[in-house]
Order: sequence, then C-alpha cells, then structure tokens
Amino acid sequence: MTSLAQIDMPLARPVQPRAEGALHLSSKRLDARSVIDGFRCSGAMKALFPRSAGALEAIMINSSGGLTGGDRIAVRARAGRDTDLTLTTQAAERAYRASDGVARVETRLEAAAGARLSWLPQELILFRGASLDRSLRIELAADARLLMVEPVLFGRGAMGEVLDQARLRDRIEIRRDGRPLYRDATRLEGDLAAQLARPGIAGGCAAIASLVFIDPAAEAHLDQVRALLPETGGASLLHPDLLAVRLLAHDGFELRRHLLPILDRLSGETLPTSWRL
Amino acid sequence: MATAAPTAMSTGTAPMRDDAQLLTLAQWLSPAYPVGGFAYSHGLESAVRAGWIADAGGLETWLEDVLEHGSGRADAIWLHLAHRCADGDDLMALDDEARAFAPARERLREGARQGAAFARTTGEVWGLDLPDLLLPLALGRAARLMGMAPGPVAALYLHAFAGNLVAAAQRLMPMGQTAAQRVLAGLTPLCAAVAEATATADLDDIASTAFLSDVAAMTHETLEPRIFQS
Repeated sequence: MTSLAQIDMPLARPVQPRAEGALHLSSKRLDARSVIDGFRCSGAMKALFPRSAGALEAIMINSSGGLTGGDRIAVRARAGRDTDLTLTTQAAERAYRASDGVARVETRLEAAAGARLSWLPQELILFRGASLDRSLRIELAADARLLMVEPVLFGRGAMGEVLDQARLRDRIEIRRDGRPLYRDATRLEGDLAAQLARPGIAGGCAAIASLVFIDPAAEAHLDQVRALLPETGGASLLHPDLLAVRLLAHDGFELRRHLLPILDRLSGETLPTSWRL
Repeated sequence: MATAAPTAMSTGTAPMRDDAQLLTLAQWLSPAYPVGGFAYSHGLESAVRAGWIADAGGLETWLEDVLEHGSGRADAIWLHLAHRCADGDDLMALDDEARAFAPARERLREGARQGAAFARTTGEVWGLDLPDLLLPLALGRAARLMGMAPGPVAALYLHAFAGNLVAAAQRLMPMGQTAAQRVLAGLTPLCAAVAEATATADLDDIASTAFLSDVAAMTHETLEPRIFQS
C-alpha cells in the first residue's frame, strides 16, 4: 500500500488560481482511541476536530466559500492501522459559475489493516455555469472497512434556477490490495436540467447520491437499507462485503430525508453532528 | 472455417476484410448464438413494472439513454479497449476494471455469464484462446484474434444489444411486432454513432449517467414475480 508520503503530490499551478487548498491528515492508535498522527493544511483548506470518544473525526472547511474556475483542492488522508477515521464537511460545497477554467478537487484516501474509514462529505451543489472535475480514489487494505457517500445537487431548484449550463466530471475509484474493487464515473456537460429530465437518466430528479459500504456485516444490512429507499433508489451487494446504493430524489431535502436513516444505520449511529445542523 | 491468424488492426469503421468475416460477426451476434441473451432484460423488467416505460415511444427514449449515456456507450468503449489489448495480462487487468464498474450484482452476472458462454463457444468453434471475460471484452478480444476491425463489431454489438432489449420489452408490455421493429430501426443510427464516437476512447472516458437504468438493475434483484434474470 502506498504511504502518505508517496501520494503527496505537488499541486499543479494554474496561471491565476482563484483558490488553492490542501489538507493532509493521518490517524494512529493511542490505547483504545484514534488520534491525529500527522496533520497539516494550507491555503483555503482548514479542519476542525470535535471531541469524540473513540474515533477521530475531522470536519473539513473550504474557507474560500466555494469552488470556481481554476481552483485546486487536494485532500490526502490515511486511516492508520486499527484506527477509526471519519472525514466530513462543515457545510455543503458550492461549485459556482466558472468564468474560465475548471475547478479541480482531488481526494486520495487510504485505510490500513484493521482500519475503519468514513468519507461523509455533505452535498456538492452545482450552480449554473459550474465547471468541476473531481476525483476520489480510495486504497483499502484487505480487511479495512469503509463507508462513503457523495451526494450531488444539480442546481438550486428551490431558488428557481435552471441548470441549463454546467459541466461535471466525477470519478470514484476504490481499490483493495491494489486491485479494482468499485468504480463509478459521471460525465455531464451542457444543459444538465434537460439531460436529467430524461427517463433513463434521472426522470427529473435533481439530487443524486452514491454510497458504498464495505464491511463484513454488509449483507446483514441489505434488506433494511432497501426498505429505507424510495422507488428511485437501489441497493445491491456487489461483493459479499460490499453494499452499493444509488439514490435519486427530487431535491436536496428529499435526498437527505432518505439518506440520513441509511447513514445512521451503516455508521452505527455515529454520523457526524455537522450532518444534523 | 479456417482460423484467422492475428493481423495488424485496421481502425475505425473500415470495411470488413471479407464477407466471411462479416458473416462470422453476424453469427456471433445473432440471437441464436448460445450466450443466453434472451434471459436478461438489463433492468427493463423493473422499469416497466415501476411505470417508467409504458409504450413503444417510452421504450425508445429509455434505450436511447442506455445506449448514449449508460452501459451501451461503456460497453462499446470496453470492446474497443479489449480489441486494442496486445497483452493477455493487460486484458485481464482491463476485465477487472470493467467488473468494478458494474453498478449492480445482476448487471455483473449478465455480462459475466454471457461473456463466459461466448468465450466457450467461440473458443471451441474457431480455435481461439479466449479466457472468461465480460461479454463486450470477450467480443473485442475475439474480433482482434480474427483480424476484424473493431468499428463494425461495436456497431453490430450495440444493435444486437438494443434488439435483445426490444424483444424483452415485447414480453413485458403490450407492443406489437411492427412497433417493436420501428423502435429498433429508430435506434440504429445511434448504435452506429456511439460505435464511431467511442473508437478512440480510453479508460478515463468510461462513465455512466443512465442513473435510473442502474437503479432499475438494482431493484430488479428483489422484483417478484419476474421472468428475466436481470
């Protein structure tokens, strides 16, 4: 497995970046608790560490107030051996209109042997004219556990805004022992509202979440997770210990309403409090 | 039929080297070829049950999404990528990536079982060394070993895929034979366009935004009663 130092790549420097930010975090075990092993952040990225009993929880903050063309955000985190590390965000991330250039967000996570990693950012909201390229790559040791979710809201329907022009490239890649385990990729460009209205794409839903749960107990949760999903959501056991969920909803409120009980259940009622605010 | 030796690949939608190649391709992609395609609805069964597809027009729109934005486009890319693979280890690594992209268990099984059946029959009849691969990769590999250009293979694959789903839909909802053939005829230019547009794509171009098609594949796993395996 790659060490944090090896995946510590320098940020590409665009001509005139509006915002750059990087966050590096790793956890280690101290008696029964998971504590910070290494932590540094730069630029727009900051983090808070709320007091917690056993797990280490980090609340990431993009202090630039949102993403726009030319922004570069990089997150590197490693759940050390036998640790329990949760990363979340303080609020929804907004991708604003990009006058020129693409905003890039690159996240590289790692979970060592016996570790439990939770990647639980709040919603990404795409505004009209947004141009965003995101990549999330997660490397797992053979017995590491994972709970991850990526909720995306396409526009602000409640504000009467139509997402008739935006661009999103979004990739999720999970590897275990170096081999591909789960991959998902989204490429949308142009009139997203019109595309999402199509019946095979989203049937007019403007909120979509992808969730992956990797745990020896995954199968035991399958029926209950299915029971919590609306008609526009599905769950499948892709491997004996890998549960994947795709959930579509009319708007962000409906998405949360269905997502929260599922996250509560799969996180063992340890969902970060920032999700409740 | 003699076994063709691997030859330098032509690209794009170059014509088949000879008529026999075209006929072999037609045989591989015929509904009579023993891969069991008739058993899979690719989530159509649950989509029809949910009321997301109600008539021939709705079917055509749904299949446009699958072909242009969902597994159709992705399969065409896998086929092209497998066809480009010179090395057996690279091919197996590519198959690992393709399996990781499967959005639902039944979707994975649909590709794996048909691919294994295709490899078994094609390997035996044409004397090709074909490992177990997902169907589009097995087809891309076999086409390479037979010296076929990938463009027509991808186009005919997408057309056969669409034709199989149109046939499945006829068992799921009231739709006459003529209406069904009209749907397939309507999708034909799209099959050719997607095959051509994916000719130079790479792994980074794989994506699926046919989200509800993927959800339908997931919900089919608990659909009762059902007549299809996916």
